[in-house]
Amino acid sequence: MQDTTDTNERQTEDLPLTGVEVVEVAEGVAGPYCGRLLAAFGATVVKVERPPQGDWSRRIGPSLSDDSPSESSALYLYNNMGKKSVLLDWETESGMDDLVSLVSKADIFIEDWDCGYRETTGISAERLIPEDRGPINLCVTPFGLTGPYSRWKSSPIVQLALGGYLNIMGSPFKEPLMLPGRQPDYLTGLNAYNAVQMALWERAMDGHGQFVEVSMLETLTNLHQATLEMDGNVRMRNGHRQSALSTRAFPPGLATLPAEDGNVTFGGGSVAIWEQVCLMLGREDIVANSDLDDVAGFADLADEMERILITWMKGRTKKDVFMEASRDWMLPVAPVLELDEVLADPQFNDRGLFQDVDHPVAGIATYPTLPFVTSGTVPTLGRAPLLGEHTKEVLGR
Amino acid sequence: MIGDKNSTARSKGALNGVRVVDLTRVWAGPLGTRTLGDFGAEVIKVGDPRLPGDRLGGLYTKLNRNKSSLGLRLDTEAGRRIFLDLVSVSDIIIENFRPRVMRNLDLGYEVLKRANPSIVMCAMPGFGAEGPYAEFPAFGSTAEAMSGVSSLIGYKPGRPLQSGMSYADPVSALNLVGVVMTYLRRSRVSGRGQYIDLALADSPVCMIGEYLVANSATSHVPPLRGNKHSDYSPHGAYRADGDDNWVAIAVTNDDEWQALCTVVGDDRLLDGRFLNFDGRKRAEEHIDAVISEWTAGRDAVSVMTQLQSAGVPAGRVANNQELLRDPHLAARDFFVDLDEYDSGRKRYDGQSIRGNIIDKSDWKPSPLLGQHSRNVLVNLLGYSEIDCDALASEGVTVLNDQPSSTREN
Repeated sequence: MQDTTDTNERQTEDLPLTGVEVVEVAEGVAGPYCGRLLAAFGATVVKVERPPQGDWSRRIGPSLSDDSPSESSALYLYNNMGKKSVLLDWETESGMDDLVSLVSKADIFIEDWDCGYRETTGISAERLIPEDRGPINLCVTPFGLTGPYSRWKSSPIVQLALGGYLNIMGSPFKEPLMLPGRQPDYLTGLNAYNAVQMALWERAMDGHGQFVEVSMLETLTNLHQATLEMDGNVRMRNGHRQSALSTRAFPPGLATLPAEDGNVTFGGGSVAIWEQVCLMLGREDIVANSDLDDVAGFADLADEMERILITWMKGRTKKDVFMEASRDWMLPVAPVLELDEVLADPQFNDRGLFQDVDHPVAGIATYPTLPFVTSGTVPTLGRAPLLGEHTKEVLGR
Repeated sequence: MIGDKNSTARSKGALNGVRVVDLTRVWAGPLGTRTLGDFGAEVIKVGDPRLPGDRLGGLYTKLNRNKSSLGLRLDTEAGRRIFLDLVSVSDIIIENFRPRVMRNLDLGYEVLKRANPSIVMCAMPGFGAEGPYAEFPAFGSTAEAMSGVSSLIGYKPGRPLQSGMSYADPVSALNLVGVVMTYLRRSRVSGRGQYIDLALADSPVCMIGEYLVANSATSHVPPLRGNKHSDYSPHGAYRADGDDNWVAIAVTNDDEWQALCTVVGDDRLLDGRFLNFDGRKRAEEHIDAVISEWTAGRDAVSVMTQLQSAGVPAGRVANNQELLRDPHLAARDFFVDLDEYDSGRKRYDGQSIRGNIIDKSDWKPSPLLGQHSRNVLVNLLGYSEIDCDALASEGVTVLNDQPSSTREN
């Protein structure tokens, strides 16, 4: 973990987006996570929040302090690291004037106004981003501004259902499960960041801004592992087992299974890896006795293979299994880490993945930073702002 | 004349003129470089001539459109030299081997940087280039387990499940695009190159930031209990008519609850205590049973449409075939049909970033291994036709230019 003072003293002049100015009115996760990445790479991000309560993610749990939950929502604190907060009501005439003035000086404007909101408020994108002028207008919405769902309500589970992910998570024929937290929003935030990078690249060439739209449903649809056609087949959820990507079943034993003190996920997919697992278990006989060309029979081995793995793991902790399989047998096998174990993991900490950050209301907490390590100046993240903390600094009053 | 006009009007993509050398295999890397290709970058996929790859099942074709293929053995002296020549005229190098592979080939960043000081190199190892697990193998599913994401999926405590989508892979693909574009932009301005170590296991960790932040400060662990939600109720997937048809419903505020009650029209929901979240949460099982009774026997799509018309977030649980026929995505012209060289016409997901991509009518199907070897060696790197044939007979490259001459005339 990095020391907080050290972080604050790091140079920021040399980051790739130093000098880039961003105005963000988007709330929740998708737009703000994009803004968080821009801030991490050196951009100045002014988050404009509407009075009285600001971004809705301030009112979503879990919070770090019971006394002031709206200033200590972990969701808000995490997604708004390193930004400035300006309190301004763009639904009033004078507020809109202020916003127009802020956006006119910016390079990037991030909004999440869907069709319904644009109509009820009468907000005109043309007024904010005059044609052929500099700023890039990034519009992040659940379904996009056109098409039959463009007026529909959304929520992470709804996105994952429509996007084809609920159907492949959970046990066969039981209630399908969602990914934890707000994954469609985070994924869309990453995709939005990529969209901004493409637009910045073009802007460097021709000096023009552009309207860039990113929707959650399309983002999700891009991320399926199997093809959607799948030769006419339907991909089914498979409980603790990895479900096949085609009509050909995976080798047996690709599953999340219990060890002595928790669970372990066995990965792979090739016959060679499966044979290596059998070697590790001292069960070369299974390989010798299996007809690898009999696809159905091979799949029927799954139950037996899992029984053997579970028996082998009795008396072994998930960490024992991880080390033995990964280090000694070069197998893609990993423990299912709990949250506290992730925070304490030696590899993640060796890479500086976490950073302790102090916040005047929420106090000190440990935050994931960025999922990569770079040579040269390291991107860094400051704390999230208090509601309207920088109104005076930014608006001058 | 009209043809000329059309061809100049068709977009070549925002990244036209950017060259990417893609050494990645399997899923995360190719998905990321696919986006660069959709935006017009020249993505040269370098593959071992001895490994033609599994084109069956469609995964390869799905992930490698708009790329060209160079067959090259990096473990030969001639192959290594050609690779360095290629690096010297490229902008981005991406690889997802274990850390020791590029080192052992003497093709680490320091070596590539000598060939091209402004090169942006992104390595995508499982756990990172250094550290105690650096050389351990990882797949999307095992990296997901390490990240804490799997610990948050399941029906009951103590029995976590994997996502079934090898979640570390798609997240890493998205991160790849963002980080290389960020440094490419600076490289063009300053001429300075960059090394990036993007670990598969780190990517999903950053997707559950709020849970890790809360856990570090208060030891909070969200309970494992299916689709139940700490801020929304009712919330879950409800069984509709059919063997395995479901509709997801999320009531995220009190107005939506009232709208739901109107649509369902069951008196058992009209209880004053249910007008706020806390009251609904306490009666969640009862409320779920009433909603399930209503959805059972009803068509999932009409339940969804009815609820959405009333302003309640709802979505039918679509399988891959239903997603492929989704009317909204069709109306937005999201899908694309490509004529694959060896497997006929296939339908794929398009590009979700609605920016300046290559005009879809100019998208190319996934290349055969070595399909562009000759083109790269002769036109880009200045080798002669005779050199090419010699390199091919030595097994350093593979020439497979037939499809381009018959189809891209």
